[in-house]
Amino acid sequence: MHTMARSHPFNRSASMMLSILGQFGSSRSYCDGESRRSFLKIGGMSFGATAFGLADVLRAESKPQAKQSNKSLIQIFLGGGPPHQDMWDIKSDAPSEIRGEFRAIPTNVSGIEICEVFPKLARLMDKAAIIRSVVGSKDRHESYQCLSGWIPDDLKALGGRPSIGSAVSKLKGALNPAVPPFVGLAERSSHVQWSDCGAAGFLGAAHSAFKPDGPGIENMKLNGISLERLQNRKQLLSSLDSLRRDIDTTGVMEGMDTFGQRALDVLTSSKLVDALDLSKEDPNIVAKYGDGKPYKYQFDGCATRNDHLLIARRLIEAGVRVVSLSFGRWDSHGKNFDMVRDHGGKLDQCLSALIEDLEVRGMLDDVTIVVWGEFGRTPKINKEAGRDHWSQVSCAYLAGGGIRAGQVIGATNRLGEYATLRPVHVQEVIATLYHNLGIDVASTTVADPTGRPQFLVDHAPVSELI
Amino acid sequence: MKKIRPAGSFSLQTYSRHIALNIITALLLSLVCIGIGQANDLASPGIQSLRIDAVGALAAGEVPKVHFRGSDARHQCLITGTDSNGLELDLTRKATFRFEPEGIASIDRFGQIVPLGNGLTKLAASVEGAATAVLQIEITNWDENPEVSFPNQVVPIFTKLGCNGGGCHGKAAGQNGFKLSLLGFEPGEDFEHLVKESRGRRLSSAMPESSLLLTKAINAVPHGGGARLEQNSQEYRVLSRWISQGMKPGKSDDRRVVAIVVGPEFRRMLPHQEQQVSVTARYSDGTVEDVTPSVQFESNDTDMAEVDKRGLVTMKSLAGEVAVMARFQGQVAVFRASVPIVGGVNQWPETTNAIDAAVIAQLRSLNIPISQLCDDPTFVRRVTLDLAGRLPTLAEAQSFVQNAAANKRERLIDRLLDGDDYAEHFANKWMLILRNRRESQGQKAGTFAFHRWIKDQIASNRPFDQFVRDIVSASGSMDVHPPVVWYRQVPDTFSRLEDTAQLFLGQRIQCARCHHHPFEKWAQKDYFQMAAFFSQVRTKPGQSPDEAVVFAAMGQPRASHPKSGESLKPAGLDGALRDDSDNRDPREFLVDWMVDRNNPFFAKSIANRYWKHLFGRGLVEPEDDLRVTNPPSNPKLLETLANQLIESKFDIKALVRSICNSRVYQLDSEPNGENLLDRKCYSRNYPKRLSAEQILDAVDQVTQTNTAFDGMPDRTRAGSLPDSSFRSYFLTVFGRPDATTACECERASDSTLAQSLHFANSKELIAKLAEANGLPASLASRTTSHPEKLEELYVRAFSRKPTDSEIKAAVDYLESKSDKLEAFQDLTWVILNCKEFLFNH
Repeated sequence: MHTMARSHPFNRSASMMLSILGQFGSSRSYCDGESRRSFLKIGGMSFGATAFGLADVLRAESKPQAKQSNKSLIQIFLGGGPPHQDMWDIKSDAPSEIRGEFRAIPTNVSGIEICEVFPKLARLMDKAAIIRSVVGSKDRHESYQCLSGWIPDDLKALGGRPSIGSAVSKLKGALNPAVPPFVGLAERSSHVQWSDCGAAGFLGAAHSAFKPDGPGIENMKLNGISLERLQNRKQLLSSLDSLRRDIDTTGVMEGMDTFGQRALDVLTSSKLVDALDLSKEDPNIVAKYGDGKPYKYQFDGCATRNDHLLIARRLIEAGVRVVSLSFGRWDSHGKNFDMVRDHGGKLDQCLSALIEDLEVRGMLDDVTIVVWGEFGRTPKINKEAGRDHWSQVSCAYLAGGGIRAGQVIGATNRLGEYATLRPVHVQEVIATLYHNLGIDVASTTVADPTGRPQFLVDHAPVSELI
Repeated sequence: MKKIRPAGSFSLQTYSRHIALNIITALLLSLVCIGIGQANDLASPGIQSLRIDAVGALAAGEVPKVHFRGSDARHQCLITGTDSNGLELDLTRKATFRFEPEGIASIDRFGQIVPLGNGLTKLAASVEGAATAVLQIEITNWDENPEVSFPNQVVPIFTKLGCNGGGCHGKAAGQNGFKLSLLGFEPGEDFEHLVKESRGRRLSSAMPESSLLLTKAINAVPHGGGARLEQNSQEYRVLSRWISQGMKPGKSDDRRVVAIVVGPEFRRMLPHQEQQVSVTARYSDGTVEDVTPSVQFESNDTDMAEVDKRGLVTMKSLAGEVAVMARFQGQVAVFRASVPIVGGVNQWPETTNAIDAAVIAQLRSLNIPISQLCDDPTFVRRVTLDLAGRLPTLAEAQSFVQNAAANKRERLIDRLLDGDDYAEHFANKWMLILRNRRESQGQKAGTFAFHRWIKDQIASNRPFDQFVRDIVSASGSMDVHPPVVWYRQVPDTFSRLEDTAQLFLGQRIQCARCHHHPFEKWAQKDYFQMAAFFSQVRTKPGQSPDEAVVFAAMGQPRASHPKSGESLKPAGLDGALRDDSDNRDPREFLVDWMVDRNNPFFAKSIANRYWKHLFGRGLVEPEDDLRVTNPPSNPKLLETLANQLIESKFDIKALVRSICNSRVYQLDSEPNGENLLDRKCYSRNYPKRLSAEQILDAVDQVTQTNTAFDGMPDRTRAGSLPDSSFRSYFLTVFGRPDATTACECERASDSTLAQSLHFANSKELIAKLAEANGLPASLASRTTSHPEKLEELYVRAFSRKPTDSEIKAAVDYLESKSDKLEAFQDLTWVILNCKEFLFNH
């Protein structure tokens, strides 16, 4: 299994020359196990300009440009810590007290096998990439790290680090003025941190996720007055609202005018409200995603809302840039295998439906999907047929967004305890998501309330994916 | 843009019989005026005197001298002329230069002198052949190869070229495997990384030009940062020489920069004028040297002025005050410029009030006209919102307007300051930045007690220095001394120090925790000396599981410097060290230093906060960032307010009273001519949006309804909520802060879609309008006339009566609707959505 990465076409290094001229800043190792920097440290010959590869020259000459197309992101958070060894990294060679009840099944990419609970996803492996060696997770039951790359304590005195959705809201703004750039679908769970759809952190409340529950969505539908009456009010307002705008030095008056008009736009033709309304979708498609019912193993977590994935697609079409949702409760200290059969089957259905749906609509290259949880689970199965927390390593599943699909990155040891090959830090995954959204984490900063520019994450994107 | 007409200029539209002579003279004048790209024509006749600015004081009649040691030395020459109006002008780029003898030195068109060889020479600078100024130049050691100093010459190059900024090699993780200290604050570390790391692969003293440092810097070899340096530049030569000399690190007793001085420090300028500045560094061995090419320059208002990397400041078209910051090797200095509005004759009222005098002096100097005083309805609404946090009631507004007493404004201010609402309003302000937040129900007793304590201090007008002492040196349990709740919310030494500095001293010292402050002279040592004051603070479990007891442990307070490991005694910023024999809680000494009348930060920062509360814009912005490099827009005014506060022994009500009674506070927001563009000189009132709490309370007050808050008695107003943890979508959407930071900036004031939707269409608002006992229903059911009802609505919402056109528009609407209740609901909705309602103007 661990030779997988090396023999994969993208990782093969053809010659000694190529191995020296590897990519800048990559932590890949080459045939002889040496990285470029360490080769030079050992005291190789002195290099002149010509010894560096074309890739490096091109990279040096062009600063990464933010892409202007409408790239978007769907983040599916598997709250509780999904068992990596029962989903994406089946340890067939491990003893039975570790291996578990599931077999590995082949996928449509030769050499890659995943859990038997994902037959539909197995037929779509060529559209996805799996990282089996995610490291750097904290043993905390919350979505914060998956959504931002940081824990809530970081920069707490300033308000905390922003999630990807909030950062995108700040850096790119809304695609459509009547549609918020960042939407969080998860309904509030008893263990609140699992339904956290991404904090705005120090960027401030203006960049929090729009949540279509409570007053946020209620306000988008006319409440007890007709559209005609609202328009009459607006008309009377324009004749009475006479305070001069140019005396305002803060720009807030103008902002209120602008948003006042947009509010009217939203109330008269709400793309957002329609996107959230599944009765407007083709029933065959709704059936294909399924509804994830009956909800099982939910306890204090989120339900297996298959329909949320469909709503996410509709929201992206309406112009939302980042959608975050929470699917199921995977914290299986007991009855792990029953839980995976239930949750896994449902995830298989809706996630495969989403990928195929996006592809049919020609959206797959513009929409990145990430599916992961806050940590992995213990290799050793406990007395209740469950697995406990394991933050040493976990998995992530990605699709779309133009990633180099049909591959597995990284590997764990025979028992699935730790990464043996190409450990990928949580922040590298986040950096990849930013990259797919057109944001270069190496050069992009956001100002915190003290005025200091803060980088979004401290790692570079996973080079094997982009 | 209005231009100045210089004395004696010619209009080409004059068709006199001397037109030919006029044209020729005009041509000659314009030839002189064209100069080298000047945008204005002020360098025409009228220059009374010319001088070359020297470093340090000159005796009368003494000729300025410059001594160049070595071929690396440079000098930025400043040629200043004074015109017939007494205005000083920078004529450096207009002067013609002559050396006598030639060949010893050269000068470029920006006035930078470069030595060419050893010897003595004189530089004569003249403008239009009239005045001439002389500079004596001596050059020695030109052909010697003095040892290039790594910390004084090489590291500043990295800073100037941006290599060690936070975007590249200066960040914590470095860039692509090469790390430099941020902005060159740690030359010792830079030497290690550059010379010793990776077996010294970055430098080659045998062949300096093949060193990776140089080949990357000029992008001969692929460099992520591109070409930062030209091969034939002075910086390249210095780096190359340092490498060829064997990459010496410099000795520990080598001279260090202790201060930098900008010349000139202040100029009155006109729009589109240019001013070259020069920067001189003073070293620890007493030497003084021009370092202008190595300094980083930055304008604090790029809408007003820009500065380039050689220190040439160019004003744009706006009038006002602007500051240009100069930074070099951890030292900072500021150049300030003041640009008046050109043209127009204005008048300003006489005044005896010190606050008005300071504001009007600035307006006069900048020729900014002042607006009229606001009318009574505007005043009663403004001052009630500012001091009591609410709208005036119908009765208050009517009786104030009808009152004929000459001193009614003064008496209204007094009445408001004595009222309970004043204490509530300011308790709200302070408790939010004192992080009064509860994270569990068990903490409720604590946060409520802290709020009550704050309110009591404000109501009784406790001297502010004592208020601060009670918080910063708080000890004991929450039921006896509520301010210990602050220590619960601010849980570690660093946050305590940073909050204290930010809240009460206006110093954002956070940056200096990890490295020298980028914009101030504070080093890590200064930070940790302050942190040492809090080193003895401990907590132990108290009666209630949620509130710990705070106490000071025995032992001497110390903090260790993170880099050197030195054990530091506590000291205030630039202050004296605390003596170990002081056996009080070390925090007492900190407060002693803070509230001392000579402390440069405390009084100013408090005065600035209150000024901002009343005017919407602090004299220093942001209000908790008082830096040398972020000067106040009116230094005299800030000093006046601070002194007033100190003399009154930190009497806050006296400060507020004196500000509200000033003319400046009572100006109308309606502009007067050119002062529409004024954004920071207080020539008129700047409207400010009501806070979230004020908006909700105002809506309730006008509609005569109430909002329920979890666990609070009926009719609790939003402005009275004792902590930040009450869930209210309305308050959140209008930006009420969560009390997680010490910054007022946590209160969001931007407008959002969610806000507009909520205010236009929420169930909450619709319910308030539809309430059976609310104002719309009451107005609909009354039998009085429409204009009378309209007047009541207007006075309740705006404190003023409607105009005739407003009456007409509203009455037409009311009469067009058959359902009177709906019509009044609509009308009330409209009034609430007017900017006049939502803004304090």
